[in-house]
Amino acid sequence: MDFIQTTVESFISLIPVTLAQSLILSFVVLGIMIPFRTLNFPDLTSEGAFPLGGCVCGVLLAAGAGPLTAIAAALVAGFAAGCCTAIIHLRFRIHTLLAGILMLTMLYSVNLRIMGKSNLSVFGQPTVFDWAPFMRPGFPASKIVIAGLIALVVFLVLNFYFKTEKGTAIRAVGANPDMAEAQGINVWAATIGGIGLASAFSATSGALMVQSQGFADVNMGLGILINGLAALMIGEAIVGKQTVLRQLAAPFVGAVVYYQLVSVCLAAGMPPPDLKLATGLFVLIMLAAPTLGRSRGPLPERETIRE
Amino acid sequence: MLEIRSARKVFHRGQPDEKVALDGLDLKLATGEFAVVIGSNGAGKSSMLNAISGALVLDSGSIVINGDDVSGLPVYKRAVRLARVFQDPMKGTAASMTVAENMLLAELRATKRTLRQGLNVKRLADYKERLALLGLGLENRLNTRVDLLSGGQRQSLSLIMAVGGKPDLLLLDEHTAALDPRTADIVMQATVRAVDALKLTTLMVTHNMQHAVDFGHSVVMLDAGKVRLEISGQEKADVTVADLIGHFAVKTDRMLLAS
Repeated sequence: MDFIQTTVESFISLIPVTLAQSLILSFVVLGIMIPFRTLNFPDLTSEGAFPLGGCVCGVLLAAGAGPLTAIAAALVAGFAAGCCTAIIHLRFRIHTLLAGILMLTMLYSVNLRIMGKSNLSVFGQPTVFDWAPFMRPGFPASKIVIAGLIALVVFLVLNFYFKTEKGTAIRAVGANPDMAEAQGINVWAATIGGIGLASAFSATSGALMVQSQGFADVNMGLGILINGLAALMIGEAIVGKQTVLRQLAAPFVGAVVYYQLVSVCLAAGMPPPDLKLATGLFVLIMLAAPTLGRSRGPLPERETIRE
Repeated sequence: MLEIRSARKVFHRGQPDEKVALDGLDLKLATGEFAVVIGSNGAGKSSMLNAISGALVLDSGSIVINGDDVSGLPVYKRAVRLARVFQDPMKGTAASMTVAENMLLAELRATKRTLRQGLNVKRLADYKERLALLGLGLENRLNTRVDLLSGGQRQSLSLIMAVGGKPDLLLLDEHTAALDPRTADIVMQATVRAVDALKLTTLMVTHNMQHAVDFGHSVVMLDAGKVRLEISGQEKADVTVADLIGHFAVKTDRMLLAS
């Protein structure tokens, strides 16, 4: 009985902190969803773009730049990284996953170069979370309000964009690139722009994270991709992915639910080092689920990840 | 108007499996002309269509549409002038998008895409009207994902998408070959209606000799990457399936069966 009570108590006390964290990380999930689902381009760049955004933001904050400037710079850096991945794939015909691994490996050195050391404290520097109306700075509520507002704006803008003429063309590139090209759509431009945008979101998430936690670290992206995938799958299981609206809502809903689940596990006493194993197993089970019930007949030819 | 000037394309040049796909091919199609292209497998029919659409870059020679040389343009830029229906119904439509969204993509083929909402009431009404012409009930399934349609419905949709916006050139790549006879007939009738009504300059590749006899203003037979025979005018009107098959260098069972 005691165990359950302490678990519930510590979980409840963690809810605001976890919620703030999950809203900030929802942008990475969005940065994973766009390549995987909208563009049909399984992409790992976010694992490197997230710390890239963090490092750029950290260095600029430490140099006295404003928090918005720092985020904008992180966004641009992330966009550039995503564009590179897309170009590596398109120009050299290298598999998207390998292109992403190349980028994230190279980005590790770039991130270290940017910061000059492996971590950097920016504690006490001004952040966007100071601007929450009626809030004491530093309190989780201000982070929830600011990150939530940004998430809401991004969600609404993307939901509008993907239904415009240009946005429909981008979705066509993911649905059937040959057909898109035959309908006069520049597949290269759409892919490069789309992957760039996705990495820009991942980098923005890293920048917000740095401002939230008060330090930047080159290793802050470790495992973020699998966390993001797990969150995306939970989100899709809850809200579905049949329409633009649902597909776009999935990353945000998924991020919030996933990090609360992680919080429950931690509150129940699961050792933090086991977390990545648990998350990995979870993603594996989610991906494998459709094939588990199959008792006879050959396995489907298509890779699960591309569905 | 379409003009192919001494188009040449060699695959695997200098290797043991070198294959001359197009060997100085010349072809002229007047504006509003409907030509049917026949030829045995490997004659260069697909290579020719790919060269026109831009999917295949020529080694030498040029492609001229309405007086403009498009040889150097990529596929998506040539799409402003030409539309294509593929043999595979899966290829011409975006499966995970709705019927209306596919129609929208086709409508925007030749225009600049803006940041305005794609689907609006006016467009949906227009799509409904155009799809109703097929008589397949597609007009009531505008919000259905295309992967839920049958192959015939998808191919019909591809056709309506291609002829919308009156392209300068319509390429039909064995577009009824993958369909059952009844659906193939529906799609073929719809094709002829649209081509006649809009006076489209059309190039139709087919293995069906009866189609070659029944439709089009002229028949072009390809062989080994060159035009072997061109029949037009009264001669085309009088031609029979037996005549056409007689011209094939190698008679295959498939042709005889298809006729």
